[in-house]
Amino acid sequence: MPSMALPNLAPAIPEIILAVGAMAMLMLGVFRSGRVSDMINAQAVVVLVLAAAAVILVPGKLLLTFDGVFILDDFARFMKVLTIIGSLVAVVMSIGYFKAEKAMRFEFPILIVLATLGMMMMISANGLIALYMGLELQSLALYVVAAIQRDSARATEAGLKYFVLGALASGMLLYGASLIYGFSGTTEFAGIAAVIAGGGMSLGLIFGIVFLLAGLAFKVSAVPFHMWTPDVYEGAPTPVTAFFAAAPKIAAMAIFVRTMVTAFPAATPEWQQIVVFISIASMALGAFAAIGQTNIKRLMAYSSIGHMGFALVGLASGSLAGVKGVIIYLSIYLAMTAGTFACILAMRRREGAVEEIDELAGLAKRSPMFAFLLAMLMFSLAGIPPLAGFFAKFYVFLAAIEAQLYGLAVLGVLSSVVGAFYYLRIIKIMYFDEPAEAFEPMPGVLRTVLGLSSIVVILFFLIPGPLVAAADFAARSLF
Amino acid sequence: MYSAIVFLPLLGALIAGFFGRQIGARASEIITCTLLTISAVLSWVAFFSIGVDGGEEHVTVLRWLTSDTLQVNWAFRIDTLTAVMLVVVNTVSALVHWYSIGYMHHDPHRPRFFAYLSLFTFAMLMLVTADNFLQLFFGWEGVGLASYLLIGFWYLKPSANAAAIKAFVVNRVGDFGFALGIFAIFLIFGTISFEEVFANAPALPEAARTMTFLSWEFDTLTVICLLLFMGAMGKSAQFLLHTWLPDAMEGPTPVSALIHAATMVTAGVFMVARLSPLFALSETAMMVVTIVGATTAFFAATVGLVQNDIKRVIAYSTCSQLGYMFVALGVGAFSAGIFHLFTHAFFKALLFLGSGAVIHAMSDEQDMRNMGGLRNMIPVTYWMMAIGTLALTGFPFTAGFFSKDAIIESAFVAHNGWGFYAFLATVIAAGLTSFYSWRLMFLTFHGRSRASADVLHHVHESPAVMLVPLGVLAIGALGAGYLFKDLFIGGNHEHFWREAMAAAGGTEILEAMHHAPGWVAWSPTVMMAAGFVLAWYMYIRRPEVPVALARRHVLLYKFLLNKWYFDEIYDFLLVRPAMRLGRFLWKQGDGRVIDGFGPDGVSARVLDVTRSAVRLQSGYVYHYAFAMLIGVAALITWYMFTGSVH
Amino acid sequence: MQDLLMDYLPIVIFIGVALVIGLALLIAPFLVAYQQPDPEKLSAYECGFAAFDDARMKFDVRFYLVAILFIIFDLEVAFLFPWAVAFKEVGWFGFWSMMIFLGVLTIGFIYEWRKGALEWD
Repeated sequence: MPSMALPNLAPAIPEIILAVGAMAMLMLGVFRSGRVSDMINAQAVVVLVLAAAAVILVPGKLLLTFDGVFILDDFARFMKVLTIIGSLVAVVMSIGYFKAEKAMRFEFPILIVLATLGMMMMISANGLIALYMGLELQSLALYVVAAIQRDSARATEAGLKYFVLGALASGMLLYGASLIYGFSGTTEFAGIAAVIAGGGMSLGLIFGIVFLLAGLAFKVSAVPFHMWTPDVYEGAPTPVTAFFAAAPKIAAMAIFVRTMVTAFPAATPEWQQIVVFISIASMALGAFAAIGQTNIKRLMAYSSIGHMGFALVGLASGSLAGVKGVIIYLSIYLAMTAGTFACILAMRRREGAVEEIDELAGLAKRSPMFAFLLAMLMFSLAGIPPLAGFFAKFYVFLAAIEAQLYGLAVLGVLSSVVGAFYYLRIIKIMYFDEPAEAFEPMPGVLRTVLGLSSIVVILFFLIPGPLVAAADFAARSLF
Repeated sequence: MYSAIVFLPLLGALIAGFFGRQIGARASEIITCTLLTISAVLSWVAFFSIGVDGGEEHVTVLRWLTSDTLQVNWAFRIDTLTAVMLVVVNTVSALVHWYSIGYMHHDPHRPRFFAYLSLFTFAMLMLVTADNFLQLFFGWEGVGLASYLLIGFWYLKPSANAAAIKAFVVNRVGDFGFALGIFAIFLIFGTISFEEVFANAPALPEAARTMTFLSWEFDTLTVICLLLFMGAMGKSAQFLLHTWLPDAMEGPTPVSALIHAATMVTAGVFMVARLSPLFALSETAMMVVTIVGATTAFFAATVGLVQNDIKRVIAYSTCSQLGYMFVALGVGAFSAGIFHLFTHAFFKALLFLGSGAVIHAMSDEQDMRNMGGLRNMIPVTYWMMAIGTLALTGFPFTAGFFSKDAIIESAFVAHNGWGFYAFLATVIAAGLTSFYSWRLMFLTFHGRSRASADVLHHVHESPAVMLVPLGVLAIGALGAGYLFKDLFIGGNHEHFWREAMAAAGGTEILEAMHHAPGWVAWSPTVMMAAGFVLAWYMYIRRPEVPVALARRHVLLYKFLLNKWYFDEIYDFLLVRPAMRLGRFLWKQGDGRVIDGFGPDGVSARVLDVTRSAVRLQSGYVYHYAFAMLIGVAALITWYMFTGSVH
Repeated sequence: MQDLLMDYLPIVIFIGVALVIGLALLIAPFLVAYQQPDPEKLSAYECGFAAFDDARMKFDVRFYLVAILFIIFDLEVAFLFPWAVAFKEVGWFGFWSMMIFLGVLTIGFIYEWRKGALEWD
């Protein structure tokens, strides 16, 4: 019988801020008539910043509450901050886009906040039920966000596909969770770990892990659970795609790591096989399929599939170094993705936004700075030193080598070679092709996002210390 | 000062090369010419301070590279030999720069031209100031590059491109030997500094004296010298590797004057002289140098007899004169060889620039059969050419007279078989030289004009900027021999050369030369007179004779006209098989095997995979759901069969 | 065994009463009601749709909207019953949890109301 006293709410302050903020904004938006979107957007930014501050400032090293199903440790703090940054960037970049498309809705930032709330709960989940709850809150918000442009056939198709497949994935995850509960007798991660360590491993538990992994892999869009990604990325409005590509991926990867490392440490050889498989499959598919794309959002979808594969390389090693690699990878991935989507959002002519890669032709002649920074981001995504993307790959491959996963490391490097092709193709199109018609000037917000992310990407190699140290610190809290 | 001499041309090249478009053609010309002139003046100062007043300089610029035991510095070795070369290179180069302002004034790419000229000069200076083999090689390749660029300066002309490539490739053959020689030197001596190599060469340990290759034993020094000499043959267009030089005349005429007459082609001569302490130790190598030089002198002169292109005649003449220099080096009269190099630079540059003036006057006509009677139309040019011809043929008291006679005499007094062969060859060549030189003069300037009226209408004397350099060179062609004879090969030569070359430039043989029989000393002059008379008879007195001769000895005529069929032989023996091999490797080896299974094959497979990966993405939700279910099912199955449960 | 079956007796009685009332209500109209049938009256009734027609017809999405909005409150009630039964055990934590839940639900309800989701037109 759990104690029925009121729990300690301090670890959940960031979540409470987001929840209360979201509801308050909802009421405000619905009662205030007229143009409330600008105000709501600003408030969403404030709420997210407050939540981030709370994440950092809540005192204590390792906080458990709600009978141990909610955990706030260094790993959670780090991942939550990353996630909030991803959400913030998405909110900020969306304003100009929806204004230009005349599709402003005050619900959008609120849904982002709600999704962020779900992600943060997911990151802090310390048991299967909390995991599922956070996941669903996040997913439901994302389904709506994907289809927020109700009048666009492509957006509604994207939303519907995402919803149907997401429901299937949730079902798998639930099924896996119930199997795990059935074979271990508990839903809490620590309890599951104790049962397995005590010799309670069984085929049923493995089935449970497989289904659970399938559900999580869907969220990080790892092969073969990735199929929704290209269609949703292409169909959803670009700021939504920018959001999808960063924050949910980070959160899902965080809970992926936490589940595997804290609930199934004794079953590492078992889940390692799955993770190695989906990692290789993701890297390979991300690299190969992206080559055939002409739409840059679709290309970024495959790119994100590939990058999740690389991040999973770190997890596959199952070691402290591997988790550290994943954290570094996700941090740098966030910077690269934010910058790249700032560029994609800036692909706009007077008649509207354009998404074909060929529209970038000769960009270097029209706006050299834009082209240069995008080229740097592409080089970084391809993993070319001394840009940040190289170090991201470096740490995960290093962990894989240390864990003696040589085949995985070799295949990873090979697929990054193949992947380099399509990144370089974009650079080639920008620098060597006949110029296409010029874009509208880049809005200040996008400039700022692009500038900041480029600074991170280009200058990371000068001062890698803080991030690496923080990642190390965060990873240690899981072991 | 020495750094200034070497680096001022580089500065000019960089300015004209990189900023030529910004500062304009005129500024590029002025800058490069001024810098070169300063360099030239400084060179003369250096010449007198070192050659006459004595004293050697050794300037280290910076450490170049260190790799295990190999240590190389950028350093200038400034001794008399270097000083002579500095004077030759910078003087001719400065004059050619000025001359080019007039000659090239129609050309739109003048900044590039002047940048190349200055770059060439810099590379040549690096070569002559080299302190070690690597620096020598650097300059060697640098002049090769500049030569390539300048021969192909009019890159829209296919023949110019072909000539440039030919020059480059033929030189590669020589450089191959040269590089091997340097490797061998490093292998044997463990250093590539001139100083140390020369010091160690005479007292080489017994074990290192011979080297074994394919179970044959060779004398180490001989092998090294022959390999190095291979490089010299390539660069100096000696017999067998001479084919590129006549073709190099496709370049602008000032280039021919500077690179393919006065300076670059003498790099081989310079190299042998510079390495004379090595060559002097190997009798075999000296023999080869003599024979090759003598053969070239004779061979090139015979071909020069029948050529019709004014520049080609002079080109073969250059080839022939280079042979003379090698003869001198080969018999040990190093100072005589360098003396001829020195004087030859003046009169050959004069002849080339003069012929350039003729071509300029004739609206780019180069065939002498379409000239004639120009004496009265361009009198200054005519007299300049006459002075050059006199000096070349060795008219008494002109520059060529002293240097060429010295070579012929030293070949005679060498008193060995190949020395006598060289003597015969050079004496006959002297007669042939006189004949073809005067033939050139008569065909061009005398008789009735065979040019079209239109061309004749435009004939005009060149501008002063072209004529003044001619004048300066003419002074050199007349006076250089008389003025410097004493220093180079006369009583003062030991004081002049000191340590710069082996045996102070060949004291012994110079001594013997002064006691050569009278008929030997007179023989070249007699031959010269005979050649002149014959030329006068055939081209002034009885112009129909040459035609009849050619018709009667059609085989011989064809043989000479086609340059002993060397190009055809090389084409058959080397070029075509190489082309066939290259085509095979290109089509089969590279195209089919490497590209097919390498880059192209891999990328094609990647694209195949991409196509199928893209096709997976059908757009149907049930396909996607199916993929997910299949994925889960596959993983479950995997675990069921591997049963990896502990 | 007897005791076990006896435990289920109230359910059996309950089923019996339900059957009696149900059947009574079905049969009574046949006996007492005024009857004047016409084809319209005799056709099957289904939520305003023609009963026998092509199933692939368009119909108003608002039906779904209402249904979905209704389901939320359906679930709310499903949640309230166990809560009410276990109220003594769950204590203040349970009480406030439900209050927050209801509060959140209310906010959602206000939103849909203000948005006009409950208006048919």
